Amino acid sequence: MKKHSFKMLIVMLMTTLLVSACGSNANTNDGKVGSDGASGDKKIKLSFLSWNNETEMKPVIDGFTAKYPNITIDFQTAPPVKDYIAKLQTMLLSNSATDVFIMAAENRNELIDGGYALDLTGQPFMAQMTDASKGMFTRDGKTYAFSQAGWVGGIYYNEELFEQAGITSEPKTWQEFIDASLKLEAAGIVPMYDNSGDISIILSALVASMTVSQNPDYDNQLFAGQASFGDGWLEPLKLWKEGLVDNQLVTSNMIGLTGDQIVNEFAIGNVAMIQGGPWNIPAIEQANPELKFKMMAVPGPEAGQEYYTGAPNVGFAVNSHSENKEAALKFLEYLATPEGLEQFEQGTGQIITIPGYESKVHPALETAYKEGLLAGKFYLPMVSWPRHQEALRNQLVISVQDLLVGKGTEDEVMQAMDQKLKEMESN
Amino acid sequence: MKLLRSFQYQLFLVPILLFYTVFTIYPLIRSFFFSLTNFNGYSKQYDFVGLANYVKLFKDSAIVSGISYTLFYAIATTILTTIFAIILALILDRNFFTRNIHRAIFFFPSIPSGLILAYVWGFILSPIGSGVMNNLLHGLFGVGPQPWLSDPLLAKLSTILVAVWAGAGWHAVLYLAFLQGIPKDYYEAAAIDGATRWRQTWHITLPLLAPAMTVSVMLLLTGGLKVFEIPFALTKGGPGFETHTITQVIVLRGISEVQFGLASAMSIVFFLIVLVLTYFQVSVMQRREEKIQ
Repeated sequence: MKKHSFKMLIVMLMTTLLVSACGSNANTNDGKVGSDGASGDKKIKLSFLSWNNETEMKPVIDGFTAKYPNITIDFQTAPPVKDYIAKLQTMLLSNSATDVFIMAAENRNELIDGGYALDLTGQPFMAQMTDASKGMFTRDGKTYAFSQAGWVGGIYYNEELFEQAGITSEPKTWQEFIDASLKLEAAGIVPMYDNSGDISIILSALVASMTVSQNPDYDNQLFAGQASFGDGWLEPLKLWKEGLVDNQLVTSNMIGLTGDQIVNEFAIGNVAMIQGGPWNIPAIEQANPELKFKMMAVPGPEAGQEYYTGAPNVGFAVNSHSENKEAALKFLEYLATPEGLEQFEQGTGQIITIPGYESKVHPALETAYKEGLLAGKFYLPMVSWPRHQEALRNQLVISVQDLLVGKGTEDEVMQAMDQKLKEMESN
Repeated sequence: MKLLRSFQYQLFLVPILLFYTVFTIYPLIRSFFFSLTNFNGYSKQYDFVGLANYVKLFKDSAIVSGISYTLFYAIATTILTTIFAIILALILDRNFFTRNIHRAIFFFPSIPSGLILAYVWGFILSPIGSGVMNNLLHGLFGVGPQPWLSDPLLAKLSTILVAVWAGAGWHAVLYLAFLQGIPKDYYEAAAIDGATRWRQTWHITLPLLAPAMTVSVMLLLTGGLKVFEIPFALTKGGPGFETHTITQVIVLRGISEVQFGLASAMSIVFFLIVLVLTYFQVSVMQRREEKIQ
């Protein structure tokens, strides 16, 4: 009896295995489901996987559907960053991706290499993008996504706490910055919180002012194997370590803090400086609307060398396998019109970087906007690195944390980064 | 006739077999297939690389650190949760007025998702002076703020603390159920022979809990090996690679670093580790069970 039931089980298992294997093969060979993709007066359903949530995109969506009543938007969303990347990846692999999706620094290479994004180079609205914005989405002279906004990041500081410690002006050199931090500490104020959970804004800006501004081709040389991480990152890392870590201004204890906790501590006035970007402003204002704060640049070793971090915002791309390409292009074109730009700014609060459009920027970001974003004095490794950004970013975070807890030296950090790059390149 | 009857019963198994095959067996086989390629998770083009991924993964410092931490976590949580769960079960078996409320209170942590619990504990164990735990320690003992989640050793211990706190109640209820099944006559006989409370527990209760222990330890061990959310939500795997679990390394390599083939190889190796450990543990404990019966 037992033997029989066992055999039955095996037979059934095999059958189901065969069935599922055949079923899935058929699925992958299947073409896309047809739809009426013609333009004009036919009713078109344009699917869109958005990086921003529904509330943020509402003004744009409403404006677009008012202008083109025959197009309805099937609005889908996933929260940035990792969730969005993973969801889009799954959709692309199962041939069920939306007509319009977002190309970010994290997935741009995979999307372009995999042929998933439509080449937008000739499109009229692309002429409005600045070269700085286009760089991230361009390969071999072809651009694959449209980005109309940008962000700038730097050091937020509490103006009242600075006054309290007797600091009268923003530090203009790195030494002044360290001295100001020590002054805050002497006055009993916590100078800074940094949980080293991501590439430090300060470190990136130092790399910009010490390496990239002298040698704009550094990142290309790095990835061509002509330069090493040590060549460009060692001196900034040493400066960062001697200034902040050795003076106990950034400690390994802070690693356990979450980003939300840090922003909160800043908002309630428990810490004088944090690193951040425009996305922190709603949280800060909600926690403490009375806070007087501003964003300043990270000063370089000498005056006049200050830098921010920043990047073009994620770009809108068209699915190269879409059945509704024309409608999708209309959507992108709408985003580039003055109404589209205004509605996007209104809904998402992001800073528009299309020339000719004066963006309304939060007072804390005014200097950063004019002297950083518009002046091009910003740098973000994730955007400058042509490939393997995530892997290198993760490795840098891990190595810096090891440095903080005393498990490594600056040279070892550089070695780890070079090795990681070599490993990723050999794949 | 008998064959037909048993076949009819087995037909009921088909739906669940189908489900199991499609969602468990088939992905496992596909993973093994991907582990032999350099599939990056996006491009439809990829090549066979044979066992290259397997060779690569044993040289990867992240996976080595991940395996050692995960083993430490799994064994430590298994031992500590079992001890606390048995003690709790013994206490909650006694008859006292607020027994049911206490049972509910201790069972409660196993209801919310591990992620939520870990976030709350992350707040409690915040390393700055204003964190709840540090505040408490400062008030009671005058001790300075401790880096609960940033010191390599303390971070590991914190994750184990949260896991034991979350799991002890659930397993206590499991042991409680088995405790109810131990005949009272054994205790009476032992009491007549003059055995103390402690000796009764040690020689009657614990051996007879052996079946419960086998199940509980197996669940704890596999759960501990497969864990992701508690360490990730508490420390994000930091500092460095100290609290990276195997699952987190797989996600890191496979999704963030787009090395799907390598991550598939890691998951196959992981599957084999869990298989061997669990088989070993269950057979040892079942033999113990039989010995006692």
